[in-house]
Parts: sequence; structure tokens; C-alpha cells
Amino acid sequence: MTRYIMTADLRRCIGCQTCTASCRQTNATPPGVQWRSVLDIESGEFPDVRRSFVPVGCQHCGDPPCMHVCPTTATYQRADGLVEIDYEKCIGCGYCAVACPYQARHITRRIDFAYSATPMANESARFDERRMSVATKCTFCMDRVDAAKENGLTPGVDPEVTPACVNSCIAGVLAFGDKEDPNSKVSKLLEETQHFRMHEELGTDPGFYYIWDKK
Amino acid sequence: MKIKPWHQTNWDARAAGNFIGGGSGTGLLIFAALSNLAALAGPAADYRWQAGLALVLVAAGLASVFAEIGRPFRALNVFLHPHTSWMTREAMVAPFLFGSGAVAICLGGGLFSVVAALLAAGYLYCQARMIAAAKGIPAWREPRIIPLFIITGLVEGAGLSALIVAAQSGTAPRWLAAVLLVALILRRLAWKIYHETLERRGAPKKALEVLARLRGRFERYGQSLPEMLLVAALFFRSEQVWLLPLAGAAALLGGWLLKFTIVARAAYNQGFALPVVPVRGQGQGMPGVKPGWSK
Amino acid sequence: MSAAARKVPQYCYQCVAGPDLLTIKVEGGVATEVEPNFAAAEIHPGAGKCCVKAYGLIQKTYSPNRLTGPMKRTNPNKGRGEDPGFVPISWDEAFDIIGAKMKEIRAKGVVNEHGYPRAAASFGGGGIPTYYMGTFPAFLAAWGPVDFSYGSGQGVSCTHSEHLYGELWHRAFTVCPDTPNCSYVLSFGANIEASGGVVAAWRHGIARERGMKRIQFEPHLSVTGAASAEWVPIKPKTDAAFLFGLIHVLLHEMPRESLDLHFLKQHTGSPYLVGPHGFYLRDPETKKPLLWDLTRGAAVPFDTPETDPALEGEFAVNALEVGADGEEWRHQGLACETSFTKLVTRMQSYTPEWAEQTCDVKSGTVRRIAAEYVEHAQVGATMEVDGELLPFRPVSIHFGRTVNNGWGAYECCWARTLMACLIGGLEVPGGTLGTTVRLNRPATTRQASVQINPDGFMHYPMNPTDKEHWKPSPKIRNAHVTMVPLSANSPWSTALGPTHFSWMFQKESPENWPRVTPPDIWFCYRTNPSISFWDTKELVKRIAEFPFIVAFAYTHDETNHMADILLPERTDIESTQLIRVGGTKFIEQFWDHEGFALRQPAVEPQGDTRDFTDIATELALRAGLLEQYNEAINRGSACVRLAADNYDFSLDPKVRHDAQTIWDRTCRAASAELTDGRESDGLDWYKEHGMRTRPTSRLSWYLFPELRKKGIRFEMPFQERLYRVGVELGHRLHEHGIQWWDVQLEEYGGLPKVMDFPGIWEQETIKQGGAGALAEYPFWLITSRSMQYAWGSNVGVQLMDEVAGNMRGHKSVVINAQRAEELGIEDGDLVEVHSYVGTTQGPAVLSQGIRADTLLMLGQFDHWATPYAKDMKAPSMNGLIPMSMALTDSTGSGADLVRVGVRRLGAAP
Repeated sequence: MTRYIMTADLRRCIGCQTCTASCRQTNATPPGVQWRSVLDIESGEFPDVRRSFVPVGCQHCGDPPCMHVCPTTATYQRADGLVEIDYEKCIGCGYCAVACPYQARHITRRIDFAYSATPMANESARFDERRMSVATKCTFCMDRVDAAKENGLTPGVDPEVTPACVNSCIAGVLAFGDKEDPNSKVSKLLEETQHFRMHEELGTDPGFYYIWDKK
Repeated sequence: MKIKPWHQTNWDARAAGNFIGGGSGTGLLIFAALSNLAALAGPAADYRWQAGLALVLVAAGLASVFAEIGRPFRALNVFLHPHTSWMTREAMVAPFLFGSGAVAICLGGGLFSVVAALLAAGYLYCQARMIAAAKGIPAWREPRIIPLFIITGLVEGAGLSALIVAAQSGTAPRWLAAVLLVALILRRLAWKIYHETLERRGAPKKALEVLARLRGRFERYGQSLPEMLLVAALFFRSEQVWLLPLAGAAALLGGWLLKFTIVARAAYNQGFALPVVPVRGQGQGMPGVKPGWSK
Repeated sequence: MSAAARKVPQYCYQCVAGPDLLTIKVEGGVATEVEPNFAAAEIHPGAGKCCVKAYGLIQKTYSPNRLTGPMKRTNPNKGRGEDPGFVPISWDEAFDIIGAKMKEIRAKGVVNEHGYPRAAASFGGGGIPTYYMGTFPAFLAAWGPVDFSYGSGQGVSCTHSEHLYGELWHRAFTVCPDTPNCSYVLSFGANIEASGGVVAAWRHGIARERGMKRIQFEPHLSVTGAASAEWVPIKPKTDAAFLFGLIHVLLHEMPRESLDLHFLKQHTGSPYLVGPHGFYLRDPETKKPLLWDLTRGAAVPFDTPETDPALEGEFAVNALEVGADGEEWRHQGLACETSFTKLVTRMQSYTPEWAEQTCDVKSGTVRRIAAEYVEHAQVGATMEVDGELLPFRPVSIHFGRTVNNGWGAYECCWARTLMACLIGGLEVPGGTLGTTVRLNRPATTRQASVQINPDGFMHYPMNPTDKEHWKPSPKIRNAHVTMVPLSANSPWSTALGPTHFSWMFQKESPENWPRVTPPDIWFCYRTNPSISFWDTKELVKRIAEFPFIVAFAYTHDETNHMADILLPERTDIESTQLIRVGGTKFIEQFWDHEGFALRQPAVEPQGDTRDFTDIATELALRAGLLEQYNEAINRGSACVRLAADNYDFSLDPKVRHDAQTIWDRTCRAASAELTDGRESDGLDWYKEHGMRTRPTSRLSWYLFPELRKKGIRFEMPFQERLYRVGVELGHRLHEHGIQWWDVQLEEYGGLPKVMDFPGIWEQETIKQGGAGALAEYPFWLITSRSMQYAWGSNVGVQLMDEVAGNMRGHKSVVINAQRAEELGIEDGDLVEVHSYVGTTQGPAVLSQGIRADTLLMLGQFDHWATPYAKDMKAPSMNGLIPMSMALTDSTGSGADLVRVGVRRLGAAP
């Protein structure tokens, strides 16, 4: 069995948004549609205040509420744990978006390009009409993960088959890999650290682990 | 990027329209059948009016939500996931509901009115389960929304039924008043339990604020007013015919207000939270933070 | 990746913390994605990653707001309210106009009647533009005298005092912890996580994971504070007080043995004896400073072998004291003290309780941090680096802007360097390091610039202050050689004088000062002083007075709004340039490799733009300077010398060469330099590989081994040399009737004192705003860098705007939540912030992470001409800060700090 997960080491994150920008570009999402973003959360009261930077996006849940509610089976879960969307099936009803407790799903009905209604060359080159008016979200860079099988590479180790956000992360916050493989980087990180998953109490079995201290 | 729960933008008044049309329509279909079956409310024409309006309401609800989907030409894909999706299930009930309802209308009631009523109950149940399955919206996912949405559908149906009967025959059946009163009391109870549970378990503050504002209006005009009118109607028997339809209208509008508010105004999402604040280099983590939540 | 896609290696140098090494994915001829250059992971200290700004390069390339052909101004009137009336012209016409102007100027002489260069040039901060302007530096070298003193922020918004004093004390134009080895950092306003680039983010991430403790001192909780173990919300401009409190604890409350006494005795000026006039006591014969040798029981010259210098105490000596302008005193049987004893005495009154009163931090915190500092220093520990045994002191102090520039910055820099010396942690593994040299020569390495001076310290090229050599007539408009001895006179020095003087004096010269006239021709590139300098409203008027401006322009902006000619160059991923990478430079940029990296055209250029190198060549040709220009390239102005003993790839100076030829030769020379002449791979090789490096020794990170080898001491704690030049400068200025620099002259002294630094700003506020001004302007307004924007010239890039929006505080006014409540301000309300100079407005962001007496505005905005940015409606502090003599310190710098008031304008729109 394989379960691909992502870990975010919150001790390291500085909120630079490099992953956000990288994801926007790699996945050619429209302006404002961030499959990966980093939150800036303030807590406490002056002077005992903290600011935490928290990468968020689809958690590729083990028990994904989006999938259960989807009336079309457009949202589906793969054997390797990735939760994906078949853009050809999705009717854009938005039910998955209200079912997701991570606010990870986006439906773009009308595209505004970066500077106007007219796309720039790079926007034209990557525009995908199939993604209009359907639900979209982080795919864990599925195409890369799939390429790993073809060329014998390991997601989370070889950059060619690792999600763009992980590749781009300049503070070593994000890691990706197979939780079922005890030798994967993510398994080792989880072994060595204290971590949590967001909104775990909702029973979604998220595939995104937040590291907050050493063991 | 927002942290605190913000209002979801995926389902707007059009989605609320489906819960309003579907709930009232199915409730009405049930009461139409009850009236017809018991022959308590007169001729077949009454059933036809009531059932006809019921189907129109359900259809309007579906049309409303159809206007919201991004890819309407693929709408038939909605039938592909009966295994777990209450939206699929609702959609699957719909054609049978319309079919049996149409036949029952043609026949002026009878067995098919019972079949249609049962399917209407199923449809109403699907709707209630559908909203409760939206795990991303705390005000929706509270399981006590299920009885609330079911009972309000019935209340709305009874209210509408009373209006139509009054319009058709100028009568105010005492049984209907009694049933509506009972349904209203059950709705009051369901609302109270739903609202208090939400407050007790914690929810987005803004959602609770919306519900708190709703509470006054809803309980005053959607509950207390029709309840008093119905008590009066029962007390005055048939001398004051207007009391029942007026109560029905208030109960109906109260239900619509309730659903519109919950679906389109109190639908704050989960937001983000940290169970613990991370350690930076040295020191201790801090207790977590759940911005925008009541607890 | 589809078959048609390819990845083109590039560098990104949009900020001083570059270069980042990356690849551009090109699909069907269109650039679509930026990625780290994974092939560079082994040689780049940030694992080959590239920062968020790099991802904006694609939008920048294809932006519809780009200028895609040369333009000329048709409206002769200049100013913010004037429409420039730019019309497209051909490159030939543009060069004809500029060429005629250049020839006219050269015919008149390159220096005007007031002695100032007729040509001026301004570039954005930190030297970044040189990584994009191809061979333009060779053109400037060929031209002759050019005034670089019209700053866009350098000098006033840079870490100015650190640049100057850092170079003096440890060849540290920039100062940084040895992050890979450090375990305890006191960070005063250093926003390293936002401004240290990829390498800082990478290293500090690792350091945090291994448990490095960083304490952040600043009035608001920046991203660096957020990522620190502790935040200390110190009052603005009181950092020196806290540091002096720490020094007090180390000197007066801790056992002397907890300090690195060996380091102090043998590697600093601590044992030097000081005379009654504030100068070192010297051996009458050799004039060498004396120290007291405990072995001999006598005063001996500092470099006497086999001594055991007394660190402290009072001694009777016969000695010579040499003062300013050669004044001498002979002492017999004089009772004197060591520098260290003077220090101990000076620090006696700066108790933690005193510090608490000044900087609003509990005295207990001062004591705790002092103890932690000493404990983490591990005095006595060693580390072997490439076979050399060095002290290992994993503690460091780091400063940011507003702490290390403007009044109070000298005291901070001194205290920081002293704190390192007290535990032996200056320029040793784990400790406080300089990372680049800009004022001392040669600039090849920091070590190469180290020479001993007669007093046993490092030689420093002070601008002369003696009567014979002092320059009363400034050669450039900011007068750095005349006014700021420490600014030296390297190519970088012009940007390190009081750059606001150039703007200020153009309007009105002070008493007994030569008239300042605008340059006949001004070149500007990747700079926007109309936004990024101070008192921007007034500054725009000064630019409008410039008669002829040539702007290399990517897009319209608030500065080239006043230009006469706009020349659009091919941008980042459309043109060619080779740069040096690696070695040690800027903060955190100390590598284990050195070499070269290439920027190359990944895609076809947009519109009728030209490679900067081809523009520079054409300008040289039109100015009649082609030969000098080519020779400058041959000398290395563009990157690397094209000829050496074992290779020669020189250009024929008489022939015009295209960009490809110039860079091919440069690449060949670079290959040869790295391989001692064995290899000569040219442009094609670099296009394929992107970079070429070789390993370097980690010893190059540390200056201590070089000083130890040459028997040189760090010039700490006593500042005899500064005191002397200060006195001499005072003499010279007074001889010329200049009294308006007297307050600044007081900063030159043997041992610094902490004054009421915030009071300087308060007094000026009262002076300008009237008696009730402090009540009218009750807040301190500060700024902070944004990683998404800092230095980037990328304010018009939508992607940056979007992702920056995820971080609190962008495009808004951050205010303490309780204070806002008192003022009736709610989150998102539109507020106006005003100083006695100007106003700005933006939405309020309520935060717990800021002092009640402080407001914060991130970055520099308030654009009114730059497309996209002008619609952002973001506030900026720059229009609120005065250019003021009173707020200028002796190094010629100010600070991004101003007293302001705030009022609610209305609810969120």
C-alpha cells in the first residue's frame, strides 16, 4: 500500500509564499486561485504574541468529505491516497466545496487574467478550458507522481516527480512521500517529531501533517 | 488570505431556493395526500391544486439550483454517485416524485398520491441529509439540522395546504390546524435543540451572530405568531376561518426565512485553526488558536 | 514535460541576497515556469532554491505594461502633474538625441563650473542593477567622472553605519551571524527571514530545527520575530541602550573570567594605554601605542614579543600622546589606564535598570539575556576549519535597518562589535562575521584587503582630514569625501555619503557651502527615488529640475515620468550577462564554492527592446568612447579581466563588438580564471550548464585567522582614530565657516555614550510641528521589509501583489489592537497617517504584535504612475519622512523613522 502525504514543518516556515507562487505557476491557476497558500496566523495578546505561518491546501484526506458528497464521482480517491477531480465529469455544483473543511476547493466561473481580460503569452499557453466552472484544487502534482512510476523515480526524493511546492520551498518546510514506506523522508520526520493534523476532530483523516516540535 | 471563518461563496440564494422549494413542495405533497386520502378536504380538485403547486415548488427549487451549477450540460452526471452522495439520491428520487405526482394529479389522488407522498418524504429526507453532509460548514454539519429541515418542510407543507384549502374552499380544517400546531411545536423544539447544540459545541462566531439575529424574528413571527393563531383557530373553531391560513402563511414564511438564513447567511466555513503553536528554535509551544470561533 | 519544452538555466538577482540559481521552463517558445536549478543544489548554500520574487519574472516578461520601444518626451515641462507626452521613436533617433547631448557635454568638459560631474547616474539599492546592466559599468568607466550620489534609498534607508564601521572594525560591509554554526542570536530589527534571501531562509530553517535560539528585538512582530524563539517589543531607537545594558552586566555583574580574556588581551586594543587627552599613550621613539606588560612590569610598544598585557588597571608611565593635527603632549610619570579600564568605567552607569527606563524592557530580561549570551558563547571552545584551529563562539548579534543607520546606530554597531570581542566571538566560527568588503581595496576577498597600520590595527582608507589633504570642495554633490572620512573613496563610497544632501542642497545649500546644481545628464536604471527616498513630494520637484534624463525603463514609473528618453532594455530572461557567484558577500551569502553564473535569453525578447550590453556599446560609440569602453571591459568592468598571464581573450578596443561576442569572451576568461588557464569554455558552454564553480576553503568566511597571521588587533573598544579624525574634521569645517555639522562632530569620540536618541526625533518634531507636536504625532512610524517586494523593482507584478496579500500588513497601516480600539478604529477601516511633512492613507490592520506607540507600514508604495501599482492604493512612509540635517548622523545617514498621527477616515470601502 502507498499513502502519499505532505508534511509541513511549522518551526521552519517563514510565510515567504514561494510555494504559493510556484504552485500558481506550475499549475497555471488563474489569479487569486491558490491551490497552495500560506496563512499568517497571529495568536496571544501583546506582548506575548506569536505569529505562525501555516501552509494549507487540499489535505488529500483519507476519508474525504468532498468525495462522499460529490454527486458525479468526479472527485475520487486513488489507491495511493491522492484525492483527484475528473474535470470532464464535474458539473461544478459546488457541493464538494462546502463539504471541504479546509476551504481547499475553487470554482472559477469567469477568468480574469493577471492584467486584463486578455491573456499574456504564458497565460494563453497554459490556459485550460476544462478547468472552467468545475471544482479545482491541489492535486499533489499528480502528473509528477504518476511520472514516477514510468521512470522509476521516487516522489519526495527526485524533484522531477515531487510536487512543485515542495521543490520550491526555501526553508525546508514541506516534504512529500509515502507514509507507508518507513524509510521515506515523511515517515522519518513523523517518527522524530511532534505533529498534528488540522481539524482532525472532523474525522477526515487528512494527509497533511504539521510538525511543531521535536520529540 | 483569510484565517477566520468567512462566508462560503459556492452556494448562494439559488441553493437556498432548492431547500425552500424542495422542502415546502415535498411537505405540501405529503399534506395533499393526507387530505386526499382521508377525504377530509373535499374534492379531487383540491388535491390537484395542492399537488400541482407542490411539484412546481420542487421543480422551481431544482431549477434554481440548476442555475447555479457550472456545467449545466453535464447535469445528468449528477446521477453517478448514489453510493454516498445525498445530492445524487435526491436527484434520483426527483423523477419518480414527479412521475408519481403527475399520475396522482391526473387521477385526482388515490394510491399514487400516497406513492408521491412517500417519495416526497424521501426527497425531503435527502435534502436534510444533503445539507448535513456539507462538512465544511459548521452550521450545516450539525446533525440536528436533519430533523429541523424535515420538520420545517412539513410545517411549510401544512401551512401551504391550509392556504390552498382556504383559497379553494374557504374552509379551515380543524385537523390541519391541529397538525400544523403540533408540527410547529416540533419545529420550535428542533430549532431550539439545533441552535443550542451549535452554541454549546462551538461554531464560527459570525454564524452564531446570524443565528442569534434570526432567532428573534423566527421565533416571534415564524413560531409564536402562527402558534397563537392556531390556538385561537382551534378555540374559535370554524368561526374565524382566516386564522388557519394566516397561521399557515406565517409558518411557511418562517420556514423560508429559517432556511434562507441558514443556507445563505449563516454558512460560515470552518476557517483555519492550530491545535498548538509551533516552537521556534527553543522554548515551548503555545496553546492553540481557533480564530473566529466561539469556542 | 512535453517534448517541446526545455529548461533554461538562469540567475535571479532581484535583491541583494542573490543570486538565486533557477531554470525557466520554455514551452513552444513561451516561458511558463520558474523552478529551482536542482543541478545547483550541491554548490549553492540555499540548496539551489529560488525565492518568491523569481516567480514573478514570467509575468514581468509578458506584462502588457512593459515599454517595448524607445520613447521621447514631448512635454518640456516636468513634474508630477505634467503629462510627459511620451511618443515612440526609433532606436536610432533615441541614440541620436542622447549622442548629441553627450557630445555637447563632453565638449564643455565632464565637470561643471562648480566642480561637479556633469553626468550623474543612479541605480537601485545594493548594487543589484549591475547584475542586469551588462557592460554599462564599462561605459561609465569610459566616461570619466560620474556623480552617483543621487540616491534612491542607499545612504539613508540602508544599513549605513554598519557598512562604514563594519568595514573599519572587521571588513564587514555587511554583518551576519555564522548561521550554520551559531546557536544563539540576538537580532535587533534584522528582518533576515524577509531580506536574507533563500540562503538565509534555508540556513535559519535548519538552525531552528537544531535548536538555535534567536531573540528578536523590535517594536513590531516581523516575520523574523515570528520565526524567533522570543520577541522583545523594544521602544524604537533604544537598541543601543539595551546593548549597553548587556555590556554593563558582562563587565560589572559577571566574573571577569567569563569573558575571553586572552582574545581581549592579544587580539584587541583593550590593553592599550590611554592618555589624559583621549589619545593612546605612545612610545616616544617609535610612536607605537603602549601597553603594560605584566611580565616586565613596564609599558612597552604593543608589538613587543612575549608580553603578558595588563587588561585593566592604572599604571605610571613616561609616554608621548599624539592628538589631532599632530599636536603632541609628553608625559612623565603619568598615571594612566588601559582602554579596557576606561571601558569598564564608561559602562558603569548603564545598568539594566537604566536600560529598562530607556527601552521599555525589564531589567531582568537584560540580565537573563546577558547570561544566556555568555553561556552560549562557550568561551574556550575551539573548532578546526580546514586544518586551522579557531575559537568557536556560537553567539552573535545581528542588526537591521533603523537600528544600524541614523542616530544611535554608531553606538549599536560599536556595542555589537564589542560584545563579540568580549567573548572572543568576532570573525570566528559560530560568531559574528563580516561578509563582504566594498570600501576597502582590493575587493576580491576580505582577507586580501587586510593590512596592518602603525598602531597594530587594520589599515583603513579614511578620507583625509588633515589640513593639507582635506578636500574643502566636494567632487560630487553629497560631499562624502569632504564630510564623512569613514566613507572612504571606493566606487561604492559615493552611495555611502549623505545621499540626501544631493537632493537637499540642490534646493538650498547650507551656509558657506558651494552651490549644488543638477547634472546635465542623468542616467537611471532599476531605481525609483520618487517613491523610495524621503519627502518624496519635494524630491520629485528636484528630479523635475534635471535638464536631461535618460531612463532605462521596463515600464513607466514615478521617476522616469520626468525622463527625456526612455530606453527599454531586454529584461531578466531575455538578455545575456555573466556574473561572479559564491565566495562571501552580503548577509548569509558565504559559500563553499565560487565561480560564475550566466543569465541568458530563454525566450525571444518582447517588442523592440535591446540587450543592455548592446545599448551600452552604442552609447559608448555615440559618445566617442568606444576604445575606452572596450578597454574597460578588457580590464574587467563587465565581470572578469579578459586577459591574464596565462590567457588572453581581450577585445580589440577599436572595434565595435556585439553582446554575444563580449559575453563569449567574458565566459572564456571566466573559465580560464577558474582553471588557471586550462579551460576556455565560452558562452555556449555556459548556456548549457548555467554556471561554473570551484570549491573554496571555509576559512575565507572568517577574518580572524588573517589577523592572527598578520599580528593585527581588532580596534576595540577604544576609538582613538575616530576621535582624531572627528577633531580634525571639526577644525577644517570651522576654518571654512561651517558650523552646521557641529552636532554630528560630537559623535566622534573615544568611547561612545548613549544619548536620548528617540529624543532627537522628538525635538525635531517639536521644532517643525510646534509645541503640541508630540501630542499631535503620538506614534512612531516604522517600516519593515517584505520578502515579496524588497529590492525587487517588481511592484507592478500581479503575482507578487497576490501572494504578498497572504501576509498580514501589506498595503495597510498596522496598529496595536488595543490602541486602535481606544481611537475607534476597527480592522479594515480606512485611516490617514500624517507627519509634519505629508500624509498617506490605507486600511488599518489591527494587531497584537506591535507596540501601542508604534505604527507599521510594510515596504515602499504610494505609486502614482507605475501601471498596476498605482491602483494598489498602498500607503508608504516615505512621503512622511523629512530630509533633515538635524536627523542626519555623523556618517551622513538617517533612519526610516518619523513621528506621526493617525485618524480614521471611514469604514472599509
